[in-house]
Amino acid sequence: MGTLRRGFSIASMFLVGVAVLELSLAPANAQAPAPSIKIGALLATSGPGAYQGAQQKEGAELAIEQLNKAGVNGRKFQLFHEDSACGPLPATQAAKRLIESAKPDVIIGESCSDGTLAVMPLVQQAEIPLINASASSLKITEPGNAWTFRIFPHAVMQSDSFARNAYDKLGARTAVLLYENTNAGIDTIDTFEKAFIAKGGKVLVKIGFGRDVNDFTSIATRIAGLGLVDIIPTASLEGQGVKLAQALAQAGITKAGGGKAVQLSNIWLPAGFDEKAGKPAVGFIRIVQFNHLENRAPVQEFLKLYKAKYGADKTPSHLQAQGYDQVMLIADAIRRGGTDAKSIRDHLLATKNFEGATGHVVFDGKRQNSSPDTIHYVETTADLGWKTLDWQ
Amino acid sequence: MVDPMTLSNTRSARGTSRWLGLLTCVAVIVVLPLIFRDAYWRGIITICAINILLAIGLDFIFGFAGQLSLGHSAFAGIGAYTSTVLVTALGANFWVALVCGVVCAGLAGVLLSAFAVRLKGHYLAIASLGFAVITYQILVNWISVTQGPLGIYGIPPPPSISIPGLQTINFSNHQAFFYLVSAFALLTYVLLRNLTRSPIGDALTAVREDEISAASLGIKGTKWKMMAFGIGCAIAGLAGCFYASFIGTLVPDAFFITESFMILAMVVIGGRGNLWGAVLGAVLLTVVPELLRGIGDFRLVAYGLALTLVALFLPGGLSGVLIQSARRFNGSVTRAKSETHA
Amino acid sequence: MLDLLPILAQQIINGLVLGSIYVLATLGLTLIFGVLGQINFAHADFMTLGAFAAYFVARASGGNYLIAIVAALLVGALLGLVVNQAVFSLLRGQDETRPLVATIGVSVLLENAALAFLGPVPYTFDSPYSSQVIRAAGMYFTMQSVLVMFIAVLAVGSLYAFLKLTFVGKALRALSQDQEAAGLMGINKKALIALTFVVGSAFAGLAGAMLGPILVLTPFAGATVIVKCFAIVIIGGFGNVEGTIVAGLMIGLIESFTTQMLSPGMSDIVVFGILLLTLAVRPTGLIAERREENV
Repeated sequence: MGTLRRGFSIASMFLVGVAVLELSLAPANAQAPAPSIKIGALLATSGPGAYQGAQQKEGAELAIEQLNKAGVNGRKFQLFHEDSACGPLPATQAAKRLIESAKPDVIIGESCSDGTLAVMPLVQQAEIPLINASASSLKITEPGNAWTFRIFPHAVMQSDSFARNAYDKLGARTAVLLYENTNAGIDTIDTFEKAFIAKGGKVLVKIGFGRDVNDFTSIATRIAGLGLVDIIPTASLEGQGVKLAQALAQAGITKAGGGKAVQLSNIWLPAGFDEKAGKPAVGFIRIVQFNHLENRAPVQEFLKLYKAKYGADKTPSHLQAQGYDQVMLIADAIRRGGTDAKSIRDHLLATKNFEGATGHVVFDGKRQNSSPDTIHYVETTADLGWKTLDWQ
Repeated sequence: MVDPMTLSNTRSARGTSRWLGLLTCVAVIVVLPLIFRDAYWRGIITICAINILLAIGLDFIFGFAGQLSLGHSAFAGIGAYTSTVLVTALGANFWVALVCGVVCAGLAGVLLSAFAVRLKGHYLAIASLGFAVITYQILVNWISVTQGPLGIYGIPPPPSISIPGLQTINFSNHQAFFYLVSAFALLTYVLLRNLTRSPIGDALTAVREDEISAASLGIKGTKWKMMAFGIGCAIAGLAGCFYASFIGTLVPDAFFITESFMILAMVVIGGRGNLWGAVLGAVLLTVVPELLRGIGDFRLVAYGLALTLVALFLPGGLSGVLIQSARRFNGSVTRAKSETHA
Repeated sequence: MLDLLPILAQQIINGLVLGSIYVLATLGLTLIFGVLGQINFAHADFMTLGAFAAYFVARASGGNYLIAIVAALLVGALLGLVVNQAVFSLLRGQDETRPLVATIGVSVLLENAALAFLGPVPYTFDSPYSSQVIRAAGMYFTMQSVLVMFIAVLAVGSLYAFLKLTFVGKALRALSQDQEAAGLMGINKKALIALTFVVGSAFAGLAGAMLGPILVLTPFAGATVIVKCFAIVIIGGFGNVEGTIVAGLMIGLIESFTTQMLSPGMSDIVVFGILLLTLAVRPTGLIAERREENV
């Protein structure tokens, strides 16, 4: 009898305790903040493209820090990063992991074309919008995937502009095309070839190389034997890019080596390339998506924030700018009413008047940013700095 | 004095234990996707099944026939590309393409064996490496057929099978795909095991241990080595076909020589020459790196360390260790039994 | 037609330079393979680590390339000693595939450990010679490539002299011909084997120091070269220094001419095609010096 009563009192005390706890928690629950917007990031932080992902992540984190100070429409932002290593296999696995465990509302990435192409079917199946800022292959937006956006000018936009400017402004008539054997490399060079020939130029030879090639002397020698070459568009990552520039200069082909040719490159080589390549980089003309010399407000604001966090002597490259702009674009969509994956996608499509550090964003019917002011031209000067070129 | 009764009891005991083993495997396969319900882990166990196929194929070549092949992944690549190109470019039926992929890979294995017919040890190893490099370069450079580094995207899963009276099996469902691959893996395992326990297995062992003496017994090393390569590489081709269908994306880099080293590690760490060692190695080297994802870059360092240590100190691999402990355990049990009887 | 001549001449030079690089990288492998009949798969990583050692020492010493080279030599020698003691002497007399597999493990270990500590982004290793260009008769070389060729010749020469003229060298040759007999002759096998390894691996380190400025320097830099090195060892005839030189230079020339006439990607196919043919037709190599029981 006594045991039963004791049990009874313990049980009732327990129940009362739970009730009190429940009641005291309830008001707190009612005031809980809206869940944060989860931004998944498929960025390459390993492998030869690792510098891309690492810098893009920096930019994204900077933007999130800024935004979370006040939040947007009562929402804060959280970044979930998975290393996609710039290749289709690791990107596929990384995407699966990301979607499965973090369940993001929107994803930024991948750093490279190959990786992006591989994850596109996955985000389509999961119905999460993907914003790409660094992959140039046409296949990313041309087929019209309903969930993939790109704020980066694609290969045709870049090549058309480049070929036109090279022909008109540089008077180039002959070209030798050098590229790494990847989707991005092949697309970049193929589109340039078409555009240049359409203008009236002549392509002397196209030479592709694998990512494991170290020595470019034989390639340079072959080019030297072709006679007068005006421009040499190249598509390679930084490591090989440095060796290539040096080999071309050594062979006396490019201006930096005493020759006549000008090396051109699309948005592949980050700031810092010039110092690594040294003198051979002088006269290199390239498209960058972010030019820190520009006077526009978003550019200066981004620069200020970056230097405040990382040091006044540090300059961000287009990679940090890409990460930063992607997050800011998402914030813009949230501001206009986006709350979850589907509504974010719809608001992204309706983006108007968004100006990022890289330029304006206006999406066409295929969710490709059609605004041409994301293409900026710079030339490497004798002191290995940049000079803005007034090309359109 | 061996009591005939004991002999037949032992034989039937072995037969029973074999059936039990088989049933356990089937049970495990059936249950796994029910335990892991999310797409990511179901993917991991599917890759596990594919790796098992690769490992047992290599174990057949290396563990049973004694031929050190360092380019096994190339044959998976041949199988993957053959079947994928047939399906995506020519619209062939998946199963027909699968058979073609398997056959091509097997033939390539026989071809390599023909080249390397007189080679042993290091020479064979380097020859197989060279073969793998050539295969990789062909895959990369023959862009008109393989798309090279551009890759082939959007590879469909096997077409659904409708069983009259029951439901349609849809292979884009991860669970169904896992069952498919595991069924093939189990079937292959059983076939190989029966092969190795037959007189063919004895011939292979003879060739492995002492080719010259085997020749004096009329066992022609060349023929058996070609057979071992043919079968082992065909199995690799099978694994490649499933791999392409599963990942949905095919690039030559998936079959680079470093992947061959991974398969070799599975066989060595698991223990070669008994098939289930290879299975053990495959499972461990697929699952453990996933569990260790937290330690980041040091994962692969650990795997290199494991490979080195096992090669140095555990020639029989982990299965060797398990067998030895089982023997020691049985030995002590028998001793205890005999002591009580005496 | 006349235009082509200087280009062909330059490609010959490029080929010889590339060839010297391969010879330097392969020399250590040839020595080890010749004396011990063993392949060290981690040879490539000894080269890579030698290159990084040279890089860091050069930076720390304010650009002193000579000290960097010495550092690389020492690093290579040390790694060779460790691998010999830990792997090969442990497994002596066992099935010959075990040490091979063990060295594959060591290779994976070293590459990924280097990756974890050094990262995947290529390092820019500028030696004082890598940007100096010499032009003569319409052709050009960089000082670095001249240096590589010079060091390669020096290395080959000193190895030759060592093997043919010194007592230890002769003992090594005896060892390579017949391990048992050599042992019976009172030659201290263990010490000699260790020495072989140390010297061979020191060569790897040296090669790394010379190649650091030429290769795209990442933890996987050595791996881009090593498979060709194995091919050279076989094509040239294992353990055969003359064969290594001929095969190495030949492969360098094949690469430069394939790049000139076809594309860089085809050179691998051509080289390995030759390897397979050699193995099928004349497995002892182009310049066979001794019989090999493996074939």
